[in-house]
Amino acid sequence: MIKISPDELKVVAQYIHDISGIHLDQSKSYLFETRLSSIAEASGCSSYRELQQKAKQDPAKKLERAIIDAITTNETLFFRDKGPFELLQHKLLPEMIDARTPKSGMMKTNIRIWSAAASTGQELYSIAIIIKELLRDLSKYNISLLGTDISDAAIAQASYGKYNKFEIERGLDRAVLQKYFSLFGDSWKIKDEIRSMVNFRKLNLMQPFTALGKFDIIFCRNVAIYFTLQDRTKLFNKIADSLADDGYLVIGSTESLTGVCSRFVPKRHLRAIFYQKS
Amino acid sequence: MESLTILVVDDDPVIRRLLQQRLKNEHYSVMVANDGYQAERLLKKQHFDVVLTDLVMPGDIGGIEVLEITKELSPDTEVVLITAHSSVDTAVAAMKKGAADYLEKPINFDELFLRMDKIANLKSILKSAKDIGQAMSITEAEAASTIQNLEMTVAKLQTRLDEVETALRDRTKAEDERIANAIDILTGE
Ligand SMILES: C[S@@+](CC[C@H](N)C(=O)[O-])C[C@H]1O[C@@H](n2cnc3c(N)ncnc32)[C@H](O)[C@@H]1O
Repeated sequence: MIKISPDELKVVAQYIHDISGIHLDQSKSYLFETRLSSIAEASGCSSYRELQQKAKQDPAKKLERAIIDAITTNETLFFRDKGPFELLQHKLLPEMIDARTPKSGMMKTNIRIWSAAASTGQELYSIAIIIKELLRDLSKYNISLLGTDISDAAIAQASYGKYNKFEIERGLDRAVLQKYFSLFGDSWKIKDEIRSMVNFRKLNLMQPFTALGKFDIIFCRNVAIYFTLQDRTKLFNKIADSLADDGYLVIGSTESLTGVCSRFVPKRHLRAIFYQKS
Repeated sequence: MESLTILVVDDDPVIRRLLQQRLKNEHYSVMVANDGYQAERLLKKQHFDVVLTDLVMPGDIGGIEVLEITKELSPDTEVVLITAHSSVDTAVAAMKKGAADYLEKPINFDELFLRMDKIANLKSILKSAKDIGQAMSITEAEAASTIQNLEMTVAKLQTRLDEVETALRDRTKAEDERIANAIDILTGE
C-alpha cells in the first residue's frame, strides 16, 4: 500500500472536498490509504499527489469517478431505522395524498418524492414498496420517485436493482422478499412492478439542483454527516428551496438540524421526527 | 462454529448411505431422503443449512425441483447438486436458479468436504455480519432517541425565546409591562 505524506494529505483532502463535499479527517491517513491506494496503483501512480494531478487533468473524469466511488460510504439497508418508513406509511403519505388529491375526480394525484443520497437504492425501493402496499392500485396516482447519488457505481447498482445475500439479509423480511424480489443466480433482483416506479440518476448535492423541480417529500439521510457545518447549512437551504411549502423532509435518525438550518421546524410522530418549513 | 445440518437426497441407496456416513464422520449433522417427495416433506418440517441432491431422480421431483422447492421454503438454504458429467449444462442452468454449487460423479469426497467447509464459513460470516448489524442498530437507535429528544427540546426553547423577544419588543406596551410579560412566558407554561 502506498503511504501518504502530510503534505499530500492536505492536497488530496482539499481535492476530495472540491469534487464531492466530503470532509475527511486529516488525522486519519489510513482512510486515504485504504481507499485510494489500489486506484493509485491501477493507474500507474507512485504517489497520491500524482494521482490527484492526473485525476484533475483527465477531461473524461474517469479517475475522478473512481475516486468518488472509493471515497464514498455507501452503507445502507432496506427499511433502515424502520421509524421513517412507519412515518411515511402512517402519516406523510396519507396526509400528502389528501393535500394533493384534486377536488374534481378526473385528475390524478401528483406526488414527487426524492431520495437525495440514494446510494445503492435500498431507501428508494423501500419507499416504493410502502407505496405499493399502501395504495395497491396506482392508476389514480402519478407518483414520481427519484433517487440520486454522486457515486456512479452506487447508481448503477441501484438501477440494476440486484442485491447479494448480505444486502438482502439486512432489513427485509421474508414475505416482502418473496413478494417483490426474484431469485437471480445467487442474488435477488427487484421485480419490474417496483423497478418501474423509480428513477435513478447521478447528482452531486454540492452543486445547484433547482432544475430537479419541487418535491413533496424529501429523504436526505446519512449524507450530510460527511460534510462540514458550512456545507450542511448550504445543502439544507437548497433543500428548503426544493421542498414544497407544505412538504416534508426526513433526515437520518441520528442527525440534527439544530444550528444547521433554521428554515425547518422538527415535528414528532411516534418514533420518528420529520421537518417542515417554518 | 456450529456444525451444518445437511439433507442428502438421492434415490440410489448405496450413494445415500455412503454420503450419510462420510458426512457424519466429518461431524456434520445429516438426514436423508430417498426421493424428491420425501425431501419436500422434510423441508417443510425443518430447516437445513444445505441440501445435497442428485440431479436425476425418478418421479416428478428431480434435483431442479428440489432446488426450487428449497429456495421457495427457505431462501437461505444452500443447494448443491450432484450430477453425471453428461448433465453439467443442466447443473450450470441450476446455478442460475440459485444453486450454490454442483459436484460431478463419481463424488470426490475431499472436494465435497471443501465445499461444505466453504458454505459453513460463509454462513458464519453472514451471521457475524448480522450480529454486528444488530448491535450497531441498537446503539444507533439509542443515540437517535437521545438526539431526537434534544432536537424537540431545543425547538421548544427556541419558540419560547422567540416569544420572549416579541414581548420585549412590543412597543405598544410600557417597559414594566413588557418585562412582566416576558417573565410570564419564561416561567409559565
Ligand atoms: C451512507 S449512504 C446513505 C444512504 C441512504 N440515504 C441511507 O440512509 O441508508 C451515503 C451516500 O451519500 C452519497 N454522497 C456522498 N457525497 C455526496 C454528494 N456530494 N452528493 C450526492 N451524494 C453524495 C454517497 O455516495 C453514499 O451513497
